[in-house]
Amino acid sequence: MNHSATHTRDLIFSPAIRIFHWLRALSILVLVITGFYISWPFLVAPETNDIQVQSYIRFAHLVFGFALTAITLVRFYLFFFGKSDIERRSFRDVSSVSSWVKNLKSYLWMGHLNKAGVYGPLQFTTYVLISFMALIICITGLVLYANVYHLGMGGMMWDAAGWITAQMGGLAQVRIWHHYLTWVFVIFVLVHVYMAVWSGIRFKHNSVDSIVSGYDYHKKHK
Amino acid sequence: MDTHAALYRQGQARLDMLRQLKSRDGQSLTSKMKEHGITRRDFMKWSASVTAMLALPLPFSTLVAEAAELADRVPLIWLHMAECTGCSESLIRTDTPNLDSLIFDHVSLEYHETLMAAAGWQAEENLEHAMEAYKGQYLLAVEGAVPTANNGAYLTVGCKGHTGLEIIKHAAEGAAAIISVGTCAAFGGVQAASPNPTGAKGIHEVVDKTVINLGGCPPSEKNIVGTLMYFIMFGKLPALDMFNRPKWAYGARVHDNCERRGRFDAGEFVEEFGDQGAKEGYCLYKVGCKGPYTYNNCPTERFNHHTSWPVLAGHGCMGCSEPNFWDDMADFEKPLGRQLLHGIDATADTVGAVILGATAVGIGAHAVTSIFAKPLEE
Repeated sequence: MNHSATHTRDLIFSPAIRIFHWLRALSILVLVITGFYISWPFLVAPETNDIQVQSYIRFAHLVFGFALTAITLVRFYLFFFGKSDIERRSFRDVSSVSSWVKNLKSYLWMGHLNKAGVYGPLQFTTYVLISFMALIICITGLVLYANVYHLGMGGMMWDAAGWITAQMGGLAQVRIWHHYLTWVFVIFVLVHVYMAVWSGIRFKHNSVDSIVSGYDYHKKHK
Repeated sequence: MDTHAALYRQGQARLDMLRQLKSRDGQSLTSKMKEHGITRRDFMKWSASVTAMLALPLPFSTLVAEAAELADRVPLIWLHMAECTGCSESLIRTDTPNLDSLIFDHVSLEYHETLMAAAGWQAEENLEHAMEAYKGQYLLAVEGAVPTANNGAYLTVGCKGHTGLEIIKHAAEGAAAIISVGTCAAFGGVQAASPNPTGAKGIHEVVDKTVINLGGCPPSEKNIVGTLMYFIMFGKLPALDMFNRPKWAYGARVHDNCERRGRFDAGEFVEEFGDQGAKEGYCLYKVGCKGPYTYNNCPTERFNHHTSWPVLAGHGCMGCSEPNFWDDMADFEKPLGRQLLHGIDATADTVGAVILGATAVGIGAHAVTSIFAKPLEE
């Protein structure tokens, strides 16, 4: 009996991309929950005020906020200077009208999604936008942080934070934009998870598992 | 300490210069204090507390005391624009005359519409004379916003019918320093709230000189007098923050020094006015306190002779010393996250949830269609 492989296996996501993806997912989950809590503290007061509920939740928000800030910066770096150009290759699709048409048609159940890199043009554009949203939510978060912790890092950022506060028209504006942007992430996550599952089923390849294992499978064409 | 020594010498030189000038009415501060029943001990305590408030070391209290005595050498012109006079009231309406209001009386006040005896043509002449005689030397304090729409026609002052815009531009030209007293003069205040039909603006937006902004509706008498004292003492502006407010007064958020801050960190919140939490003095964040977004010294300096301030009285801060507060801090009894967005009467969270729901419906429709869609050919 002659068993020959029917599919090829390609490594599409490097370990760094996978680790940062899941760290970012964890950060976003914790930040959205703690963020909504800080905006409207819904737990009742504890028995004793030795339990600093608001402080603990703010602490978690800050820790994961710094994690998200660091990941956002590293991902920007990796995108431009990472060894594999599988992400950068998508530029070619973004600047091609026929790629866009092909992409949108494939999402409406018409034809294949052929792409140069690992992302389709709409997917790539969405990721670019969400990366810049992450940058803005991190910056507004750091401005708010500098107002709570005046020493050390908060102190170092104080002048820059003051300048940004003035440009945005006051700390209330910084805070409310930080809040609005949270919703961008909530809605993004829903669409993102659906599209990951759907495109795996529709286009018959490894999709959700790729960001865990790193591999995608393609049928061998004889 | 070297910088302090240099600052001290600068203050001394400034006061020596002031001493050469003529006093306004010849009556010394000491005799005025005696008339009002204020003792020398009160004066020493006041000098020390103003020194501490300005974040200067204690030896500067002698300079503060001298500056107070020489206040009658510094010409002050106080203009009223579109306003309610609440800022002047904050300063002069005290239950007993204290040093803050007395200094305001002692300073060489050349023109102040609420306090002057003159009226009509005589008042106008006083203003013109003061601006001419003390050109380049007078301190200009402005209360109220400047309407700029229709070339400033929404505000005319005095018998000659000059617009506020004309008056402020003319007065600013000859001023040694300009202080915007209160949120209206500093940032436009309530008059500048959306849709702002009169085009009301803060003073710094219509003159091209540095303006010290004393936000607050009203600012406390301490912040007004402290700024006056700083100018009299040093002849220059104090260190200013991002919105040109003196750092010694507006350097920290209301939230940072709030007496209820411990309640906030512990998660003890007033849920509605009059509940048990309110009686216990819990944090007012959930009933709309804007202390976390507001820079001012209200929790430490308070109002009306250090008696009380809004949060102590049981209502949250409404952020009155911040730019655009009437729009940005609304609703005053809800936290920012529950702010109703203008035009759609819904909160950001409602809008977000609706979009999220619409997205979920769209995804569901897409998923269902996918079941019936023609499978992809190999």
